Amino acid sequence: MSEAIQYFQFVLAPQMLIGLVLGVAVILVALGLTIIFGLLDVINMSHGEFYALGAFIAFALSSVGLPFWLLLILVPLVMLPVGYLVERGLIQRVFHSGDRHVRTLLLTFGLGLLLEDAFRLVFGPNPHRPETPITGGVEAFGIFVPSYRLFLIVVGAAIIAAVAFVVYRTRLGAMVRAAAFDRDMAASLGVPVQHVYAGAFAFGVALAGLAGVLLAPIYSIFPTMGRDFILMAFTVVIVGGMGSIAGAVVAGLLLTQIQAIVSLYISPVWSDPIVFGIMVVMLMVRPQGLFGRLGHG
Amino acid sequence: MVDALTRSMRASHVLVAILVAASLAVAAFGVATNDTFYLRLATEALIFAGLALSVDILLGYTGLLSLGQALYFGLGAYLSALVLMVIPSFWAAFAATAVVAALAGLIGGFIVNRVRGVYFALITFGMAQVAAKIVYNTRALGASDGLIGVPVININLGIASVSSASPAGFFLFVLALIVILYALSAYLLDTPFGRLLIALRANEARIPFLGYRTMTPRLVAYVLAAMVAALSGALYPMLRGFVSPELFFFATSGNAVITVVTGGAGTLVGALYGSVLLTVLKSVIGSYTEHHLIVIGLLFMGAVIFLPKGLMGSVRPLIERMLAREPKQ
Amino acid sequence: MTAPILEIRDLSVNFGGLRAVDQVSFSIARNRITTVIGPNGAGKSTLFNLISGAIRPRDGQVLIEGVDCTGQPPYRMQAAGLARSFQITNLFFELTVAENLRLAAQILEPVSMAWRPVRSSRVAQRRVDDLLERFGLSGKAQYTAGELSHGEQRRLEVAVALACEPKVLLLDEPTQGMSHSDTRDTAELIRSLAADVTVLLIEHDIGLVMSLSDHVVVMYQGQKLAEGSPADVRANPAVQTAYFGHA
Repeated sequence: MSEAIQYFQFVLAPQMLIGLVLGVAVILVALGLTIIFGLLDVINMSHGEFYALGAFIAFALSSVGLPFWLLLILVPLVMLPVGYLVERGLIQRVFHSGDRHVRTLLLTFGLGLLLEDAFRLVFGPNPHRPETPITGGVEAFGIFVPSYRLFLIVVGAAIIAAVAFVVYRTRLGAMVRAAAFDRDMAASLGVPVQHVYAGAFAFGVALAGLAGVLLAPIYSIFPTMGRDFILMAFTVVIVGGMGSIAGAVVAGLLLTQIQAIVSLYISPVWSDPIVFGIMVVMLMVRPQGLFGRLGHG
Repeated sequence: MVDALTRSMRASHVLVAILVAASLAVAAFGVATNDTFYLRLATEALIFAGLALSVDILLGYTGLLSLGQALYFGLGAYLSALVLMVIPSFWAAFAATAVVAALAGLIGGFIVNRVRGVYFALITFGMAQVAAKIVYNTRALGASDGLIGVPVININLGIASVSSASPAGFFLFVLALIVILYALSAYLLDTPFGRLLIALRANEARIPFLGYRTMTPRLVAYVLAAMVAALSGALYPMLRGFVSPELFFFATSGNAVITVVTGGAGTLVGALYGSVLLTVLKSVIGSYTEHHLIVIGLLFMGAVIFLPKGLMGSVRPLIERMLAREPKQ
Repeated sequence: MTAPILEIRDLSVNFGGLRAVDQVSFSIARNRITTVIGPNGAGKSTLFNLISGAIRPRDGQVLIEGVDCTGQPPYRMQAAGLARSFQITNLFFELTVAENLRLAAQILEPVSMAWRPVRSSRVAQRRVDDLLERFGLSGKAQYTAGELSHGEQRRLEVAVALACEPKVLLLDEPTQGMSHSDTRDTAELIRSLAADVTVLLIEHDIGLVMSLSDHVVVMYQGQKLAEGSPADVRANPAVQTAYFGHA
């Protein structure tokens, strides 16, 4: 019996905790992705690079002495106009063509390439690891948890809850959902659809940037950080249901736990193929994902 | 009189002929200057043109955006490398690749063709990711190092033989093969079956009411594209002597999509010119800075916004007009 | 006695709780023009979707020349000899008019021709030329379908349905949105079709229905209210209240 408890304390629980931290992290990135798809019908291939952009901005600002806590607020604020301009200046240029899905996907793919190389140009190819803002750890039930990871879980959960609240429970969220459900009807009801679209894109991008700031102390900062991370975020969005916030949360927690368990019992190298395999199977049997999409039921 | 689509295809043939003429000039120049590097680079451009060709069969003709065509390219490359290390025969590697790619394409086709539109793009992407990770982690396939030591082979062509180590010889051989793949694709796309693919892209919903299942042509197009990608991939280890898991990665699939969109989707020849253009750009920009992706990203975004028909999509109508003016027999 | 060319028996389908088509039965005679009329929401288009295989019925049967085709997908219905046009123009807009027709006609070629260049498809090409002529689209053959006027697109819509030489042709509001003179021309065209194809039509223009149809089926709230010759239907008191009363 005590062996089982010890096994839990020292083997299983830490692994599940790593999974949970990754889960919260992935959900933060996936949220923006899923909102942008749910509302604009755009697959934002550059989302991972916006996540990286947030981390690099934070890195640059902290090197001139700004404290981490200020960056948590400042970086998303800087990202908002960036996202807004990208939507109005780029996405809208191809948004009304017949082939919206393909052309917006290609456009954001090109933007992602450009950004990734720009990071390499400005910051160099090597990883940077910011100092952990909170050091030390907490012990509960015999399980040791680094403080910053605990902080990340709590803050991450709060951000996710706040986003869900805004989208599902506020007037602003209702406008967004109305625009997602029927663009023309929403416009005729006086919803400023153009601004809602650009605003939602900016919001999604800002969320990715915020995730970048939060996660940099754990996963480091390097030019291709977005590319590596976005695969998982895409998987979460697809499995949860493109455009569904609840789906992203459930799938994010579920898939990262599966990864953690597979890493423990089979091998870490098989965690990725299995998770991507789940995505493929999900697309085959239930392409709309676990949950429906934003504004649709 | 030929109809509009046949005339477009003939215009593509003209553009291919120009490219072939230019390639022969490059080969002659290469031989004269005793060059190896640029001929090898040009050969690689042609091999990746084959991959782009397969993307165009799907995107430009059938309306299916595949973000995972590297799956079949990588499959062909690895299979060819494995065969060559046992039997150093081009034809054995080529035949094995054709058969396995057809089977893999059929299985993959059943999986990915369950979904449409953006979900198709994502499922092809996901499937290629699974394959990439599996190859990356399989020790028997060299894991992250890939397979090295693919022998130089002599390709027996009956009347003559070409060594894969001969820069000009192998370049011309690859040129011939890619042109054959182009010609076969172009022929197929100008048959009633091929027109069905074009119709599928234009308005899938009407097809069943014309008496056709939509699944069959989609599946056949997917298998064909898989075979074109894999046969192009099979040439890679002959050129480089090794294969690595990067061939399966998204960057490979993504590059092929960039090639097709910049070159001109739905023209076939755009895949060839696009690949040449990107290779030239990469080496020219690469000689000044290692940050060629910024330029390529910008160029690609510009193409998506300002030149949605791509380079050849914009040039080809000029040739079509010239062909239309010729006296009708 | 030979079976009717198209017979439907107790055809029903539900959308949610709504009985969109409710136990509708009728049969149509060879080389006649039968028209389905009824107010909006009567279930006419749904009936067409059931007959053409676009949606599966919950109950009932569709028989083409006595062969049960119930619940078959559209491509099987086409093979059985049935083709249809759509109320909302459903063409290959980026392809030329000639190519739209050629695509619809290529099924006339033997299967072996599927892998030969299209310019050798002589049967299909003859059919295309014939249809271009007949539908007054010869001058527009090399325009894309998207470039045509609304009236021309509606005509092409019918021509595409007709291209595969069906036995039964379902036309869903072929004159929808057409000008008065276009409507008259199209009516002429439909009448001329009846020489070699059986036509089942949905039409709103009552004047047109009465002059064009050999047989009229009236639908109301998913059910068949009446059927008969135009004169019979016009005289039917139930039809007058339910349908003409609304008009």
